[in-house]
Amino acid sequence: MSKGLGVKMSVLLVIAVMLLSACDSSGAKNNAGSANAAGDKGSAGATNAAGDKNAETKAADGGELTYALATSPDSLDPARSGLAVSVRVFRTIYDSLVAQLPDNTIKPWLATEWTISPDGKSYTFKLRKDVKFQDGTPFNAEAVKYSFDRILDPATKAANASALLKPYQSSEIIDDYTIKLNLETPSVAFLGNLSQAMLGIVSPTAAKQSGDQFGKNPVGTGPFSFVKWEDNTDIQVKRNPDYAWAPELVENKGAAHLDTIDFKIIPEEATRIGSVQSGQVKAIETVPPQNVVSLKSDNKLQVLQVNTAGLPYTLFFNQTAAHAPWNELKARQAVQYAVDIDSIVKSLYLGTYQRAWSPLSPNTFGYDPSLENGIKPDLDKANQLLDELGWTKGSDGIREKDGKKLTLHYVDGSPNREKRNDIAAIIQQQLKKVGIDVQVEITKDVATVVYTNWAYDLYGNSQVNSDPAALNSFYHTTAPDARPSLSHLADPALDKLLEQGAIESDPAKRKEIYVKVQHAIIDNAAILPIYVFPYTVAATKDLSGLKFDSLGYPLFNDASLAQK
Amino acid sequence: MLKIIAVRLLSSVGVVAGSSILVFCILYVLPGDVVMNMIDPSSMSPEAIANLRHQLGVDRPFYEQLLHYFNAMLHGDFGHSLVNSEPVLPKIMAHFPATLELTAAASAIAILVGVVLGVLSAIHRNKPIDIAARIIGLFGISMPTFWSGILMILIFSVTLGWLPAMGSDGWKTLVLPALTLGLLGAGFIVRMVRNSMLEVLGEPFITTLRAKGLLERSVMYRHALRNALIPAVTMMGILVGEMLAGTVVIETVFSRQGIGRIISDAIMSKDLPVVQGVVLFTAIVYVAINALVDISYSYIDPRVRRLQH
Repeated sequence: MSKGLGVKMSVLLVIAVMLLSACDSSGAKNNAGSANAAGDKGSAGATNAAGDKNAETKAADGGELTYALATSPDSLDPARSGLAVSVRVFRTIYDSLVAQLPDNTIKPWLATEWTISPDGKSYTFKLRKDVKFQDGTPFNAEAVKYSFDRILDPATKAANASALLKPYQSSEIIDDYTIKLNLETPSVAFLGNLSQAMLGIVSPTAAKQSGDQFGKNPVGTGPFSFVKWEDNTDIQVKRNPDYAWAPELVENKGAAHLDTIDFKIIPEEATRIGSVQSGQVKAIETVPPQNVVSLKSDNKLQVLQVNTAGLPYTLFFNQTAAHAPWNELKARQAVQYAVDIDSIVKSLYLGTYQRAWSPLSPNTFGYDPSLENGIKPDLDKANQLLDELGWTKGSDGIREKDGKKLTLHYVDGSPNREKRNDIAAIIQQQLKKVGIDVQVEITKDVATVVYTNWAYDLYGNSQVNSDPAALNSFYHTTAPDARPSLSHLADPALDKLLEQGAIESDPAKRKEIYVKVQHAIIDNAAILPIYVFPYTVAATKDLSGLKFDSLGYPLFNDASLAQK
Repeated sequence: MLKIIAVRLLSSVGVVAGSSILVFCILYVLPGDVVMNMIDPSSMSPEAIANLRHQLGVDRPFYEQLLHYFNAMLHGDFGHSLVNSEPVLPKIMAHFPATLELTAAASAIAILVGVVLGVLSAIHRNKPIDIAARIIGLFGISMPTFWSGILMILIFSVTLGWLPAMGSDGWKTLVLPALTLGLLGAGFIVRMVRNSMLEVLGEPFITTLRAKGLLERSVMYRHALRNALIPAVTMMGILVGEMLAGTVVIETVFSRQGIGRIISDAIMSKDLPVVQGVVLFTAIVYVAINALVDISYSYIDPRVRRLQH
């Protein structure tokens, strides 16, 4: 008996030894790997195909793609989920009326053409006649009306989708394949918003039948149809064989190459990375920067990155008088000069994130690259500006005026999403050099601290969006009784520009307006733009054709797996 | 015997009720709110947010929410998730088998490894095998399962490629999580069994048995071990509770299905009915297991029965 136990003992000892040697072996592997070409190109463009090297071999049909998501979608009902992770799955199941290309032009999808009324308040769409939903329901004007009216119906509880659909008011069915959408106020962003998956068209039959549970039984017109959803485990979709109406975003206009996609839900970073390294899954999303560097040197893997459009991660000054001296331009400018954003972004994200220069991300319509490298860190200027305002350094190195210390109340949310808490810590160190005492408050309850009490001098936020009109909710002076914006800006000239930008239909003129807007915001030192968030995917080399739209959502129409 | 069972049952009901009230209160006073997790606060009007809050019933006063909750519970209604309006009880029932599977496998590993190592180390006191067992025991207790789980993935999935890193289908995906959780339990059992074994070995009746000329093997395994295991049985009841709690971390690390995952997700999104449901459910399971252990304990050891009469 004791001999048998001895064997078990030695097995355990072997395990113990392996535990200790584990770190060594994984380190060696990373160093040995060769550099990955596909990954480096990734960050440049909005759409980029996975595995450039494989592109020449003809896309093989069939196969199951396992794609690991970082969190679980809450619902697959496009109207009812506001989570980015849900949208990644929506894109396989649902199509939109129009598609937005990486150059920000709007192209047909389920709608073939459209006209906008002269007052900009109604959009008439001609619809494709050859489309049907995955459950056999024909796609027509009725389905479009149903989908949008459903979003407005309070019973649907469509929070994010209804915000996106605004200022939509009603729709009129002109004939089976023509529909007129009426808006409350003109909006140029409306068309771009229609391209977003949260406004994807749902099957009226299925939605009526499933009611509340449509999110667990989704039906759309997309290239893949829903198979099953096992809580916390995976979501499976399979090829929709009838699909023949892909937008210009992808090359393959017909049915997808892949048989199935299995979206695995793997919240733990290390496990997600281990799963793709061991080949258990073919692709994983949201790779943290430190791992991007090591995965790129793994010769079995490729790393794909695409910058998301909209508003980059931006720190907003609260410009109300109660938050003096931060309502003074010189004080904000001093911070602008004292913070070295380059070094923050480089040291925290190891060169895998781009630093932001504008209130807009580079992929967004109207982005002005001339702002890049505009403001360089300059401690002397910062000190001088603060001196001019009468804040003098005390014995502890912190500036004072009229017996008051110069403090900056910096609020950030918890958990430490994308190392945002570390940004706060570094800024605290950097501003100490010019005599500003940064008091960092990390809170789980951002809703109360920031959006109810507005108790911050500096607070950061970002937003993935397809249109620069997203700036309105962050910089436009709001009516006295409405919810204020994060910056509390009250600049009539800027308001006017933002209002014009929302309705200007000539793209060239519209672009000009947004260039002015961006300059106005930066010149006002209203914000500190920090980084542009890239959506990052690591995949095994046999996957090719994975593309991304400009919002950073993956498109699987062209994706295929090399058959062995 | 019946009296013992009755008393146990009654106190069990108290424990279950108490723990769910406690959880309700903790979640109520914690900052954060479910509505803010469901939406993007910068893109919704205050009225729309207030509406949503009203629809979900989270704007009602504390006592109303608590009463409502208890009333529903008494009717066997675990409520619906605030996030996706799924009914809570079927969700728990669907996920419980996976957690049970993991807990059972981990407990089996813990008991097997723990008892074997504990006995060996007591018998071979201060010999290399004892020292090795104690080191393994210490490792098992002190390594956070979060960390050891990731190590397991690094060794057995990434480097060796033997076992899957994640998932919950088939025995292969069960091995690493069960091992990670099992080694934690084994750590406790090794120490427990070793100590009580040493204690028993020092008692006069062992000397008597040896003096009678009984085979050493018989003394050890038939007499000493049986006596040493009595305290270990109670320990195992507690341990099953530990294992159940441990599944929260393990299921997340290994991306397994299970009620541990449900509750961690629900806490993140402040989905009160789901958190409540899982807590109540696990409290019932835990209390039931401990009641069983207690009852069986008094059955194994006549002294306990006499004391409680």
